[in-house]
Amino acid sequence: MRAISRLGQLVLGGLEWLGGLTGLAVTLIRVGLRRPWGIDDIASQMVHLGVRSLPIALFISVFIGMILAVQFGSALRDFGATMALGDASSLALVRELVPTLLALTVGSKMAAGISAELGSMKVTEQIDAVAALGADPIKKLVWPRVVAATLSQPLLVVMGNVIALLGGMLIGEWVYGVPAGYFYETYIDELAPMDYIQSLTKGTAFGLLVGLIGCYQGFNTKFGTEAVGVSTTETVVAISIWIIIADFFITMMFY
Amino acid sequence: MGDTVQASVPVIEFVGVSKAFGENSVYENMNLTVRPGETLTIIGGSGQGKSVCLKMMIGLLRVDAGVVRVAGEDVAGLDGEGLRRVRRRVAYVFQGGALFDSMNVLDNIGYALREHTAMDDIAIRERALACLDLVAMPSDMLDAMPANLSGGQRKRVALARSIAIEPEVILYDEPTTGLDPRNITRIGDMIKKLQKELRVTSVVVTHDMPTARKVSDRVAMLYQRSFPFIGTVEQIWHSELAEVRDFVHGTLRRTSGTGATIVTEAPHGA
Repeated sequence: MRAISRLGQLVLGGLEWLGGLTGLAVTLIRVGLRRPWGIDDIASQMVHLGVRSLPIALFISVFIGMILAVQFGSALRDFGATMALGDASSLALVRELVPTLLALTVGSKMAAGISAELGSMKVTEQIDAVAALGADPIKKLVWPRVVAATLSQPLLVVMGNVIALLGGMLIGEWVYGVPAGYFYETYIDELAPMDYIQSLTKGTAFGLLVGLIGCYQGFNTKFGTEAVGVSTTETVVAISIWIIIADFFITMMFY
Repeated sequence: MGDTVQASVPVIEFVGVSKAFGENSVYENMNLTVRPGETLTIIGGSGQGKSVCLKMMIGLLRVDAGVVRVAGEDVAGLDGEGLRRVRRRVAYVFQGGALFDSMNVLDNIGYALREHTAMDDIAIRERALACLDLVAMPSDMLDAMPANLSGGQRKRVALARSIAIEPEVILYDEPTTGLDPRNITRIGDMIKKLQKELRVTSVVVTHDMPTARKVSDRVAMLYQRSFPFIGTVEQIWHSELAEVRDFVHGTLRRTSGTGATIVTEAPHGA
């Protein structure tokens, strides 16, 4: 009985959270699509969220490419088909691994950062101060972060796709003796425009989730410095869950 | 004690206001008026909802029942633009200062100016310097970041930020909390100075009785979810009522039960 009650509370809590997130999204559309556009704030957040995430995004991407090439190469060698390494790697990397793993790592980092920053602002009444000074906290704080995350994540995915290709190429050449030029040609030949679109769609959707969930969690931080830690941890958990869910539905949409 | 204020149309008015957070009722059928040009101090124990009262004045918190009017406008009925209008007239000095960590002193002071006016950078800088001067801060602090300021300096910059937009009313939330005696005296002097020089109406929330005594024209004591005592500083200081006397001269007894009947409203114009 207690287990059922707890399950019920969990479901209700989840629905409440989802309702709050949807409410924030609706408010964001309402206030965001009004002048001023906040271009300076968006640009500043893109530097903060996107450009500063570039090194880790590139580092992760090159290793994703290398790891996948090692795994596929090992299997293909058993069939004497290592020359198919480029074809085999490309779809998995571009459609799935690069956008999803970047979202789970770099995206989580972005969302946790947003959540911690806004949570600290909430605890120290800076969000109230924004409102008290006559500005709209959603427009001033949420809008630039959500837009910047939504634009930054697909750009990181583009960079990540290129770097993952290079990682796979390195392993192909050094470990399996697949010439780099051949790897590149077979890799690119395997990809259709829709694969790039799928990759960018995932990057954009994940970026939107990163921005929204990070801001929502930050704005709903309870009082006390401990609450900021709790909120940030919950953000990482929520991002992980919702990115996997969104990944499934976007993947289904393209089949 | 502050200058005596003539009774007039209230700048801020609470009528039958109730507010609760979940099961915790903070106000029940509360009435309060703030008159133009006066300094009204709200006193009361910690955690009783003094700051909630200030936040309801500028729509940061909504009432559950009753009406809060600022310059005749019902705050609860205002849309975003209406609230913006109210917040242009009523400034709020937060307990911890609430300076924006990512901005320097200049940008903190200029925040409301950029939001509400078309002033250029040079004009904003000049206004910021003038505001710093009013709160006795040196001009070379303009580029300092909040993290590098002491507690007293943060409060003074917050004060400078609140007066930059030339408000008609300033709300002070525990302005002396966490300060050393020298800074407490300084902030008290500043509240009096700003009221005199800028002719603003002030509402000060505090449990620091010396500051309350120094700056107030009237004092309202929060007790059992309402303001059963509102009077001049001298009236409250010399009150014979146990609850008031205990708070002013010592510790307020925690009581339960409904409806306090401590004392009547002090005569208007007192």
